[in-house]
Amino acid sequence: MIAAPTSASLIERFDPQVLATLEGLDMKARYVMEGFLHGLHGSPFHGFSVEFSDYRNYQPGDDLKHIDWRLYARSDRLCIKRYMQETNVRFYLICDTSASMGYRGDLAWGSKLDCARLLAAGLTWFLLRQNDAAGMVSVSGSEHAPQFVRPSQRASQFGLILRQLESLAPTGGACLAQLLEHTARLVHRRSVILFFSDLLEPSAEVAKSFKQLRFQGHECLIFQILDRDEVEFPFTEPKVFEDLETGTRRVVTPATARQTYLARFNQFMAEHRELFRSLEMPYCVTRTDEDPWRALALFMAERQRLQ
Amino acid sequence: MNFGFLNPLFWLGALALAAPFWLHLRRKAETNKVKFSALRFLDDQPMARRDPFRLRDLLLFILRALALLLLVAAFSWPYIHKSSELAVKESRVYVLDNTMSHQAGDGFGHDRDQVMKEIAQAGRDVQIAVIELTGQPRVLGSFGDDRGLISAKLKDLQPSFQRGSYLAAFHQANTLLANSFGERKKIIFFGDNQENQWSENLNTPPFLRNVEVVLPRTAAAQAPNLSLSEPRLQRIFLGDKSLVNLTMELAHTGEARDANVTLRMNGQVIFNRPVEVDKQPGTISLQAQWEADPTLWLRGEATVTGEPDVLAADNRLFFSLAPLTEGRVALLAQSSYLRSALSPDVMRGQWAARILEPTMIANELGTNDDADVLAIESNYLQLADARKLLHRYLDNGHGVLLMVNRLTPAISGYLRELGFAPEPEPATANSTVERIKFVMGNHPIFHPFVSSDYGNLTEVKISKYARLKAPNAVPLVLSESGNGLFFQSTTARGKLFVAAFGFDRDQTSWPLHQTFIPFLDLALQAARAEDPTPINYEPGAVGLVQLPGDTKVREVVLRDDLHELSRVPVAQGRAQIAMPLTPGLYGLTYDAGTNVQKVFSINPSPKESQLTYTKAPEAITNWQLSAAPETGKAAAAPSPVRLNVAGIWRQQFWWWLIVFGLLALILETGVAMLRREPA
Repeated sequence: MIAAPTSASLIERFDPQVLATLEGLDMKARYVMEGFLHGLHGSPFHGFSVEFSDYRNYQPGDDLKHIDWRLYARSDRLCIKRYMQETNVRFYLICDTSASMGYRGDLAWGSKLDCARLLAAGLTWFLLRQNDAAGMVSVSGSEHAPQFVRPSQRASQFGLILRQLESLAPTGGACLAQLLEHTARLVHRRSVILFFSDLLEPSAEVAKSFKQLRFQGHECLIFQILDRDEVEFPFTEPKVFEDLETGTRRVVTPATARQTYLARFNQFMAEHRELFRSLEMPYCVTRTDEDPWRALALFMAERQRLQ
Repeated sequence: MNFGFLNPLFWLGALALAAPFWLHLRRKAETNKVKFSALRFLDDQPMARRDPFRLRDLLLFILRALALLLLVAAFSWPYIHKSSELAVKESRVYVLDNTMSHQAGDGFGHDRDQVMKEIAQAGRDVQIAVIELTGQPRVLGSFGDDRGLISAKLKDLQPSFQRGSYLAAFHQANTLLANSFGERKKIIFFGDNQENQWSENLNTPPFLRNVEVVLPRTAAAQAPNLSLSEPRLQRIFLGDKSLVNLTMELAHTGEARDANVTLRMNGQVIFNRPVEVDKQPGTISLQAQWEADPTLWLRGEATVTGEPDVLAADNRLFFSLAPLTEGRVALLAQSSYLRSALSPDVMRGQWAARILEPTMIANELGTNDDADVLAIESNYLQLADARKLLHRYLDNGHGVLLMVNRLTPAISGYLRELGFAPEPEPATANSTVERIKFVMGNHPIFHPFVSSDYGNLTEVKISKYARLKAPNAVPLVLSESGNGLFFQSTTARGKLFVAAFGFDRDQTSWPLHQTFIPFLDLALQAARAEDPTPINYEPGAVGLVQLPGDTKVREVVLRDDLHELSRVPVAQGRAQIAMPLTPGLYGLTYDAGTNVQKVFSINPSPKESQLTYTKAPEAITNWQLSAAPETGKAAAAPSPVRLNVAGIWRQQFWWWLIVFGLLALILETGVAMLRREPA
């Protein structure tokens, strides 16, 4: 049922400048999701929810429109078609709010946190349209106090999650391990966890937390959001670089440091890829200067797998 | 040579010196720092110095700071004071008396020229302000004004007929001096030192601090003068004749032997004859009476001429009298004399009487048609309705003429409520017939009787009267034994006149006396509610014209014989109108109409005619604060504020600061451009 969106249709639909000028996470999420879904073949709103499941015998009181008249013609039996409209899967949105998520490069349409918010909001909108239950776990403040939004299928859940997403601010130091710990503690039933982060933290603790989640039986989808500056390190002038989370200041001469940086960065990325591969966690990298269709396509494919 | 800053507050602007620091360091921080999220991959790079705040370009910084410093210094108005330069040595306020009394002997014209002369002669180190003293003191020129402009204003000044307060003028001058720069502060008074002006404000608390007052020299203690004042007009009816009675006062000082008084009324000369003033009191009351149409406004003018007379402005006196409107009187009395006196045969055109019977009082209370005056005998006060009626008249501001012809306990009790306590008669009172002994000649009722033309009131006999004790009433007529016979209450809301007797033959012979009809008419006129709009004013006064509440008049117009002078809108039945500055007669009309509704007479204050002068007014001593005079050393010390702005701008020092400041800015711009080129 799922077909990869054509890049032409996405390019027509997705414009980072337009996205940057849109006000409100709600508008942005609809803009992105409708653009993404416009590129899919067939009707996106029937892709999952009206998928045929099985037959059952007609009983008085059933709606006649659901009777399969062709089957009746063939077998002379009145049967009702059943569809996969309900799911037992609960989706949790987990969003990293460390200070590094506030970084925005010159070519980005928003910060990494903006991108994470947009993806989370768009997916929430989509999930609720498909009658899936969506919830959220986040941390706030310098003490990284957990905030929990219970999963629900109700339409009002979208507004609740939107408000929660809009309240997120990129402050404080590393909180990824804590966030995963809170998630493991708060999410009991087997669920699907959509994780948005740049993962720019020491991987030992984070890896341990991911393993714990996996051990608890949760499905995790990892959306790593990075900026072009982090991936390509395009700086040329010698400057003082100040770390967003720790405040550490280093005098960097890009001409000499670039090679080392890229090598270490690619090593870091490879380690994460290996980690998520070993944990069987779908993983994709989204850049803030590119359209987010990759991430959405990953989600769609995984969503289909989970049905 | 002294150096100072006229406005030290400008040094607060020196805080702006922080601006180049901030700009410098901010720019450095902005251009040289990147906040990055993946610094963990650059941990092999050297650590940066924690303190980035170091001066990057010392020359630029010095130039910026220097430019700011010079400009701030310039705008704090620094000055260099040399003893020979433009210090303000003296602040001088001329107070020019332009009240009417100063017209005597052309004192005003002489002093005006003198002030102009002194202004022209004053050096540049003298600040000068001029105040004109008229009805209200007016600043003709302040310290910052051009002297030529002040002189031009002085030249245009005309003598006024107003009376102003010396005290107000000195207060105004003191206020001006409080904001002056001069080391010496001086008020120079050009006036006539009129004694009544100085004595009016003798007990004013002191307010002149370190202010020197220069008063004019008074040549004589008194100046010869003839003046007319205090006009009083009344209409009196004698038989069929409608008379006008005029009294006025002729004041004379000096050596004049006689004065010629001319009286004109509505354009006609009523009389023109000399009056001997030699060996007469200083103020002579003049009285005149003549027949006049009671339906017309009377416009009169009296003039006096004689020699010597130094002040001609007070030789004319203007007066006006409103036409008579028939009044209404409600009569609740059995006296046949009163009924006859108020009958249409006698009072036609003056008073229309409505005779009330006891049975009609209840109906009268039911209607709301009060007359102007209620004439009531006390024996009716036994009726509750009569008492209510009397109270209603008083509460509504109408007049009541109460004749105490009988006393019972109930009547006595009610009289006490009105403030008149009857006292028991002495044993011998029944047989005693008393005459009127004293009357209050200043009262409008009895003022005409000062002249014998209307009869002699002392011939009136009172054979029976009530002894009334009235602490809150003014006795207007007293008997030979000193008992009050006729009172005016001072507490009632309306006008209450009380006669201690009834107008019957068994109590008085007055109804048969020739004075009775004029007295009754005058008493009723006095009891009648007055016109709320006065018609006599001083020049420049503000008059309040009151019209009936339901009036449709939108504007009132003040005009003289030829021109419309002012037009004032009417708001809620009232209009405030400023009277002309020149004495005379002025008519008031409504809207576009030409019918004269009122005639205002404008006369100068009679106090301005009292040309008695003082050489050393005590008031000046009282007004001065008794502060210790400045010592010579203190006086020589430089004043914290010496120069005005114009003086500072003339100093080259100020301009050099500006020039150097701008030069530093230009250099800074050039250096900054050079610094940018390599980038």
